[in-house]
Amino acid sequence: MSSRLSGLFAGLVFLSMGLALYMVFIYAPTEAQMGVVQRIFYFHVPSAMTSFLAFFIVFITSIQYLRTRQEKWDQLALSAAELGVVFSLIVLITGPIWAKPIWGAWWRWEPRLTSMLIMFTMYVAYLMVRAYGTRPLQTRRLAAVLGIVGFVNVPLVHFSIELWTPEQQLHPQQVSLDPHMAYTKYASNLALFCFFFYLLHWRCQLEKGSRLLAQLRRQAEALLPEEKR
Amino acid sequence: MSSTLDRPALGEERGFWGAAMAVLRKDLLAEWHTRERLSTMVFFVLLTLLVFNFSFELGGAALHQIGPGVLWSAFVFASLFGLHHTFAAEQENNCLDALLAAPVSRGAVYLGKMAGNLLFLLVVELLALPFFALFFNLSLEAYLLPLLGVFALGAGCLSAVGTLFAALCSNLRLRELLLPLLLLPMVAPVIISCVGTTAMIFQERNPEEYFPYLRILGVYWVLFSALSLILFDHVVEE
Repeated sequence: MSSRLSGLFAGLVFLSMGLALYMVFIYAPTEAQMGVVQRIFYFHVPSAMTSFLAFFIVFITSIQYLRTRQEKWDQLALSAAELGVVFSLIVLITGPIWAKPIWGAWWRWEPRLTSMLIMFTMYVAYLMVRAYGTRPLQTRRLAAVLGIVGFVNVPLVHFSIELWTPEQQLHPQQVSLDPHMAYTKYASNLALFCFFFYLLHWRCQLEKGSRLLAQLRRQAEALLPEEKR
Repeated sequence: MSSTLDRPALGEERGFWGAAMAVLRKDLLAEWHTRERLSTMVFFVLLTLLVFNFSFELGGAALHQIGPGVLWSAFVFASLFGLHHTFAAEQENNCLDALLAAPVSRGAVYLGKMAGNLLFLLVVELLALPFFALFFNLSLEAYLLPLLGVFALGAGCLSAVGTLFAALCSNLRLRELLLPLLLLPMVAPVIISCVGTTAMIFQERNPEEYFPYLRILGVYWVLFSALSLILFDHVVEE
């Protein structure tokens, strides 16, 4: 991406964020039963969707990396996984804050919450594999395998927990939102998606830069005479 | 390690299944000579039952509530030992490289290793079951057949993913620590379904009630066996 395009994108992120914040705190009406705490919904749900999007990107780019072995897919997978972990952490933090006044407890072993936690631990383990690999090329392949297997597991985790605690389904299954609330939710979604892609782009650039630097360093070391290495 | 293997004559080729059987045979033979994997796994299950007994005062009414969870926790943790051993043992004298250099499909190597893990885990489960019954004064005759079914399914699921992850972790630093970190969230559906089914069996529920769990286990087994078979090549590639 050229710097001008990147600047435009940054502007879009800034504008959509501003709009979303305005809508969340001023435009959207206060929910009748839950009160002001319900406004956390506009951060909680879009963050969950963004983390799913991130892990889906990890899945697709992992397949692509194993097929083509092009480094760009691996950089994308790593960047998306890191961001996915950050966004799912936001979900896991905002969830209990919302749950305490509404469900009466910080945590319930409820299907969606539990699935999110298991998914979060799975991708933290993915990042650990990235960190504890011994050879870069091999580690990328192993991470790609994990990125595929982990994503396939997500629906199975969800179904099994749903069977485990059928009476505990506390998340509303169908929500009909007031149009004002629905627009606010769309705006929040848009803002977070834009923000996610913006971060993804820069995280990829950072990874590309650091790999290039490591390569140059190795080349420079090879040029040095033996005793100075 | 593979010196006791009867090698096919020069020019004779083993097919996919033949190669998988050869790997399985090699692992069983190696285990038969040392018996180190089985004995540690069974002993570990016994000790876990002991620890859980002190932690929860099992027996009586509590047993039916947490007994299945105790049993499966012990199996899952014991399986981690066995799985780790699968590829750790091959790293002595670079046996793994020799195994992978063999002119057979890598899928066959995976399948042989997976079958070995499945068998070990099943044997551990079967050996541990009488102790479970003995320690907690449970008569198992009525439950035996359905229990064996769940054991087979659970062991199948654990070994399908576990073998792939054991191969994956054998290439990492801190491999003994990373295997549980990767495997435990991954097998969450298996643990949930196995514990759920075992609990229902102890409560003498109608098999139709636990069928949804069995369906998850079946799907999990087939799905991850197939996926592991495809992906194993990328894991062990040099």
